[in-house]
Amino acid sequence: MYYLGVDVGSVSTDLVLLDKKMNVIEKIYLRTRGKPINAIQDGFRLLKSKYDGIEINAVGATGSGRQIASTLIGADAVKNEITAHAIASLEVNKDVRTIIEIGGQDSKIIIIRNGIVCDFAMNTVCAAGTGSFLDRQAERLDIPIEEFGEYALKASTSVRIAGRCAVFAESDMIHKQSLGYNDSEIIRGLCDALVRNYINNIGKGKEIVPKVFFQGGVAANIGMKNAFEQALGFEMFIPEHYNMMGAIGVAIIAKEIVEKKGNTNFKGLNLAESKFITKSFDCEGCTNQCEVVKITENNSTIGYFGDRCGKWCNKLIIPSKKLLA
Amino acid sequence: MKIGIPKGLLYCKYYPFLQTFFSELDAEIITSDDTNKKILDEGVKYCVDEACLPIKIFHGHVSSIKDKCDIVVIPRIIQLRKREYICPKFCGLPEMVLNNIPNMPDAIIEPIYATNKIKLFNWATVAGKTISKDKFKIKKAFNNAMNAQHNHKTGIKDESYELNVALSGHPYNIYDNYVNMNVIRKLNKLGVGVVTEEYVEDKMIENEVKSLYKKPFWTFTRNNYGFTVNAMKRLNINGIIYISSFNCGIDSVTIELIKDKTKDYPFLILKVDEHTGEAGLDTRIEAFVDMLERRSLVENNISSHG
Repeated sequence: MYYLGVDVGSVSTDLVLLDKKMNVIEKIYLRTRGKPINAIQDGFRLLKSKYDGIEINAVGATGSGRQIASTLIGADAVKNEITAHAIASLEVNKDVRTIIEIGGQDSKIIIIRNGIVCDFAMNTVCAAGTGSFLDRQAERLDIPIEEFGEYALKASTSVRIAGRCAVFAESDMIHKQSLGYNDSEIIRGLCDALVRNYINNIGKGKEIVPKVFFQGGVAANIGMKNAFEQALGFEMFIPEHYNMMGAIGVAIIAKEIVEKKGNTNFKGLNLAESKFITKSFDCEGCTNQCEVVKITENNSTIGYFGDRCGKWCNKLIIPSKKLLA
Repeated sequence: MKIGIPKGLLYCKYYPFLQTFFSELDAEIITSDDTNKKILDEGVKYCVDEACLPIKIFHGHVSSIKDKCDIVVIPRIIQLRKREYICPKFCGLPEMVLNNIPNMPDAIIEPIYATNKIKLFNWATVAGKTISKDKFKIKKAFNNAMNAQHNHKTGIKDESYELNVALSGHPYNIYDNYVNMNVIRKLNKLGVGVVTEEYVEDKMIENEVKSLYKKPFWTFTRNNYGFTVNAMKRLNINGIIYISSFNCGIDSVTIELIKDKTKDYPFLILKVDEHTGEAGLDTRIEAFVDMLERRSLVENNISSHG
C-alpha cells in the first residue's frame, strides 16, 4: 500500500512515495524548467523503473501546477501548497507553531495554533525574496546554488544590500561588487537582506514563536538558516524532507480522501510513455479573449485550462475539486 | 450627439446617474465593453506606468470608445463627502487621459464635488451645456438621474452559505470580474458567501471611523475601514478578504489601520495587478477557505481531522 504526492512548483517538481505508515520511501526532485508535463513524465519514468507493479492507493497534486498535474495523473486530492505544507509539518511534529516556507516563486509564513492553521501570509505580486532570486544571483556570481550557503558562512561581515525589490537588490549588489567586496560577504549580505525582507514583509504582524520549521527549497541554504536564526534569536528546525513537504502533505490528504471515497482516480505509472501535447489558443467566444490551453494525451483531449467562463474547462468531466478538509 | 462613457473606475457605482443624465438630454450613449484583455493592453500602453491598475484600465476603456463618440465623459470625482476626498489620481484623471491618448475627441472634465445636490448640479450644468442649451431640460435630466441613482441598489449579500466573508476594497476592484479574476464566483464555488460594504449602514461605518485618532482624509479609507471593522464585529462572517491594487497609496494606510483591529481574525489581502495567471490567486483563496473551514470546525468542537 503506497501513496504518491506530486508537487509541481515553479522551480522544482517533487514526487514522494509514502508507505502505509507515512514513511518516505522514495523522493524525486526534478527541475521544472517551465515544462511541468515533461518534469512529471520524467519523475514517473524514474518511479516506474524502480517500483513497477506496486499498488499505489492514493495520489495527490499540489503546487502552482497542481491543476495540470491532476489532469495528467488522475489525482484524488488537488490541494493548495499552504494546507499541504501544514499537514506535512504536523505529521512530523505536532508541536510546530510556525512554518517558514520559501520556494521558487512563493514565500509563505504559516501560523499554527492547537494543530490547525490559524493564519498565513504569502508574498504579494512580486517574487523578490524567493528561491528564484537566489538562483538567479548564484548564476550571475557563477557559484553553484548548492554552495551558496557555504559561501555566506565564510564571511565575517555582511554587506548591506537592499532587499525590498529583486531588481534593486541586484543593482545594489553590482555596485558593492564594483567597490571590491568579495563574493562571500556579498552573499551573506544577500541572505540577511532576504531575511529582513521576509520578516518585515511576509512576517509583518505575525507572531513567530518556536517551534519554527524552515522548509522549501531555500531551506537547503545554510546561509539563510543562519541569517534567520540570528534575526529571530532562536533555533529553527529543518525537517528531514524539507524540500518535499508539499508533496508529502498532499499524499497524506489524498490518503484521507481515498479512505473516505473508497477508490482512486490514479491513471498508473505508464504515463511516462504517453505523448502529451499542449496547445494554446485565444478563445473568440467573447471579449474576454481568454488564453486557453488544451492538453491532449495520445491524441485524445484530456483537459482545458485558462478560460474564465468555464466554456472549455467544463467540457470534460473532471472529478469534483471540492475536497474534504 | 454621441456621448462616450468609459466603463472604468466608479462607473460600476454611478452608472445609473451618468446613463440617465445623458440619455435624458437625448444623447446617444456609447459605453465600452466590460474590461477585457484588449482594454487592459491598451490601458497599459497609454497610461503612465506609475499609476495603479484601475487607472490604467480606465485609459483602456477610453481608448476603446474614443473613435466612436463625439464627447467622452471623464468623471473627475473630487469629493463624495464633506471634508474628505476620494483619491489624488482621480483629480488628475482627465489630464492623464488627454495627454497620453492620441486623437482624443472632446471631453467633459469638469470636477465633480458630490457632497450635496446643489454642488453636484453645478457639474450637471456645465456638462449638460455641451449637449443642450435648454436649462430646464438639464434640470429635469439631473433630477431624473438623481432618482435613478437613488433607486439603484448595489452590493452583494449571499445567503445560504455555511461560510461567509466580508469582501472589502475599492468598488472597481470588487465589481470588475476581469481584474479580480472572478473572485466572487470562485469563493461561491468553494462554498463561501460574500457580503460587501453596501450592506453595512452608513451610521455604523461612521461609528467605527470615529474611534480612529484622526478623521480619514480619503473616502475610500473611511468606507473600507469602517465596513471591514464593523463587519468583523457584527455580521455573521468568518473572515475578511480585501482586494487591493498593487501600488495603491490609500490602501497602504487603510490596510494597516484594519490590521490593527483584526489581530487574530482571518484577514486575507489579495493584491491585483496586470497578472492574468490565476494560480497565485487560487492558491491564496483556497488556502484561506481551508483555514476558515478548519477554524470553524474547531470552534464547533469537532475534530479537525474528521
